[in-house]
Amino acid sequence: MQSDWAAENLQVIRTLMERSALYRRALAPTTLLAGGLGTLGALAGHKWATGSGVQFCLHWLLIAALAVSGCLLLMRRQALHAGEPFWSPPTRRVVVALLPALVFGLALGLGMILAQAEVDVVLLIVFVWIGLYGGALHAAGFFMPRGIRLFGWLLIGGSSAGLFGVILLEPEGAGLKLANAIMGVVFGLLHLAYGGYLLVTEKRRPAA
Amino acid sequence: MNPEPFLQLDRIIHEKGRLPIMSLLAANTEMSFTELRDTLKMTDGNLSVHLKTLQEAGYVAMTKSYLNRRPLTTCALTPAGREAFARYVDLLAEIVRQTKSP
Repeated sequence: MQSDWAAENLQVIRTLMERSALYRRALAPTTLLAGGLGTLGALAGHKWATGSGVQFCLHWLLIAALAVSGCLLLMRRQALHAGEPFWSPPTRRVVVALLPALVFGLALGLGMILAQAEVDVVLLIVFVWIGLYGGALHAAGFFMPRGIRLFGWLLIGGSSAGLFGVILLEPEGAGLKLANAIMGVVFGLLHLAYGGYLLVTEKRRPAA
Repeated sequence: MNPEPFLQLDRIIHEKGRLPIMSLLAANTEMSFTELRDTLKMTDGNLSVHLKTLQEAGYVAMTKSYLNRRPLTTCALTPAGREAFARYVDLLAEIVRQTKSP
């Protein structure tokens, strides 16, 4: 039937166009790097926290800057290894999708530093940061093949529950140590676990 | 059934090897030779032949440059290529529609 091959060709076109829009470089190295830095950041924060909200924000913004720089360097290395341009259209789509929420997270951190944030708002900042990061991952997940969107939703759900918990329960004396522990679990251990899963399951595939 | 849409299909695009190339390039502003080759799992020779045909038809533009002292060939659809691809997709849709209508 003439319409059969016509419909098949249309399906082939649709599938290829959708697939080519996806970011397909290996995610395990970047996820493990982010997780390692998050864990180290939490341990450092736990050991050397002095009780200042400003120091907490500075500390974690520095960790975030290191993680973002490290991930970009890894992505560039993957692109060079594959003999492809670093700033490919799928990479551009993912970065553009991540940017709004991450920029707002940066603005929130800088704003808190400028406002000389007290320790009692640190937990709120933590949950807003996690929610924003979840939103960023969810947006980027539209251009990535794996379960990034689900991971994003998990973070958004967890941060929302945490936010309500802090507002309703007003935990006494739950300061920097708890905040660092939550940051360590979310940005460290969760990423290490997810990176480990990707390392095992990700096949060696051509980059995009 | 009206055979007109089928006869109008662009024979340069309507080929097993070239249709996927056009589809990928239609979805991206540009793609490197290696990206195309790896995504479509084609050999260098096979891809080169199809790209040459598309280039000669004026549908694809190829740019040669260097990335870290390694040659980089970038492919993109020309405006004529984009137009021809859109027309091809419209005709396919027309064929499907004609067969489905009573």
